[in-house]
Amino acid sequence: MSEGEQLRVMVVDDHPMWREGVARDLQEAGHRVVATAADGKEALSRFPAARPQVLVLDLQIPEPDGVAVTGEVVRQDPSVRVLVLSASGEQSDVLEAVKAGATGYLVKSASRAELLDAVRRVADGDTVFTPGLAGLVLGEYRRLSDVPAAPEADTETPRLTDRETEVLRLVAKGLSYKQIAERLVISHRTVQNHVQNTLRKLQLHNRVQLVRYALEQGLDDDQPG
Amino acid sequence: MSGEPAVRRSLTHVPVQDLLLRAMAVLRVIVLANSLVLYAMRFEDYPRPLLGWAVMALLVGWTLVSVWAYAAPERRRAPLLVGDLGVAVLTIALTPLVKGAGPSATLPGFYVMCAVLSWAVVWRWQGGLFAAVAVSITDVSIRLEFTQQNYGNIFLLVIGGAVIGFLSALLQDTAAQRDAAERAAAAAAERQRLSRVVHDGVLQVLALVQRRGPELGPDGMELGRLAGEQESRLRGLVQQGSRELVAPLGERDLVELLGELESPHVHVATPATPAVLPAETASELLAAVEACLSNVRHHVGRDADAWVLLEELPDRWVVSVRDDGPGIPAGRLDDSASEGRLGVQQSIVGRLVDLGGSAQVRSAPGQGTEWELSVPRHTSP
Repeated sequence: MSEGEQLRVMVVDDHPMWREGVARDLQEAGHRVVATAADGKEALSRFPAARPQVLVLDLQIPEPDGVAVTGEVVRQDPSVRVLVLSASGEQSDVLEAVKAGATGYLVKSASRAELLDAVRRVADGDTVFTPGLAGLVLGEYRRLSDVPAAPEADTETPRLTDRETEVLRLVAKGLSYKQIAERLVISHRTVQNHVQNTLRKLQLHNRVQLVRYALEQGLDDDQPG
Repeated sequence: MSGEPAVRRSLTHVPVQDLLLRAMAVLRVIVLANSLVLYAMRFEDYPRPLLGWAVMALLVGWTLVSVWAYAAPERRRAPLLVGDLGVAVLTIALTPLVKGAGPSATLPGFYVMCAVLSWAVVWRWQGGLFAAVAVSITDVSIRLEFTQQNYGNIFLLVIGGAVIGFLSALLQDTAAQRDAAERAAAAAAERQRLSRVVHDGVLQVLALVQRRGPELGPDGMELGRLAGEQESRLRGLVQQGSRELVAPLGERDLVELLGELESPHVHVATPATPAVLPAETASELLAAVEACLSNVRHHVGRDADAWVLLEELPDRWVVSVRDDGPGIPAGRLDDSASEGRLGVQQSIVGRLVDLGGSAQVRSAPGQGTEWELSVPRHTSP
């Protein structure tokens, strides 16, 4: 764990009070706020030069919205970590953002300590889940397994292993990783890996779907690589 | 049957009336051609063929004028309609002069129905009935004998005028209601959009107060707590608002119902898609969840955290309610039952069994308590 290492963070929120508050919290904790932005357009134009390690992002921002920004920044720089901060917790938006590549989600009422901890953890490659997000992700896997796969589909519908389902259910029931590790008699790191896998499969599936959609629409010329 | 209501109607119901009158213009041309052809085949036998041609010219001229005049809503007023009926009545009345007394058919023939139907479209069943009666009286007055055939025609014309008028009114009213409903829906959508923007702002401020409050000392701590409660209630309302109308009548969306339970101490996790259950099943399940939560407040503490998780399995719905309290020592549930405090078991297990489902509780000292309530899906009511 890289405790105390200075992180390059970018904050995107259309609410000035929030943007400055979050930026100040991060700076006081010793991080560098390399850019802020008030809407999706600003965020995307400042992102390439700022090169943040972590993007703290409000979903309800003027166009393009948080989901679109997440997808675009992760496409430009797969190493960036996106932490979604949402006030209203519009559930479908949160799920879309996670599928687009966000690896952390917090409601805005989370405490400052929770926010700093979450930034640190997503920067370390960990996933920051709320029980609410775990419930959404569980629901999404069930929904995908309900939809009969198209006969020509060569990519598998993502599925959770029994262990992953078990871990995700416990997260959704509000257990901490530590409690889960104790209950299942596995290591803390293993719990984290299981949780990460649930998101990775979903994001991979989402990317494959997007690429296939682009190919079908004849837009593949615009796809880099 | 005055002009004013007709104008008001024609302005509010433009599209339907326009369509009907456009169809009427086509009909007018067809029946005019019919009358012209019939006259051209017979005119040589009539005493005054020239007057007859003059009548035909009048019909052609009036057809051109009326097709133009009926095309615009602001011209569909009394002068046009009275003129339309006047032409019909006049041409019928002139028939004996052209053909001699007691003609078998009138000069305009079927053309008269255009006036009747136009009256019906613009002035509804009263207009259609009035115009049909006026045409019929004129028609009867030029006949020497009243045949079965004449009676049939008149009967059809009068009934037709009234029925078409009634249907046209119905169509226009339905269209007006549809327009009103569309306007209301658009207004509601706009209100919802605006309220979402407003709510988002309010939520941001409440969340900020909640975060910053505790740094301002004890009063700030209290402020922060209050803001937090309001924040989660409003968040619940906003999420609920974005889900309304998902469940059909007689069914409820369990995701929405459980979402309303969210508070600073109750954390609700659900799928993003609605969970639609029969209304009774949903409210029984909700009542069971509330009983679990009230149990948490009683036995763990008022400010104890509780987690509610809704899962959709292929064959059943599962709602878990968990707390981080001291747990219930083995046997305590049975004890409370034998002590007469039937609250827990009776109300929760009983409700679930009644629904064809089951309720299980898992607990161990120091590991909290977890209820798992499950209800089969596709239960036939």
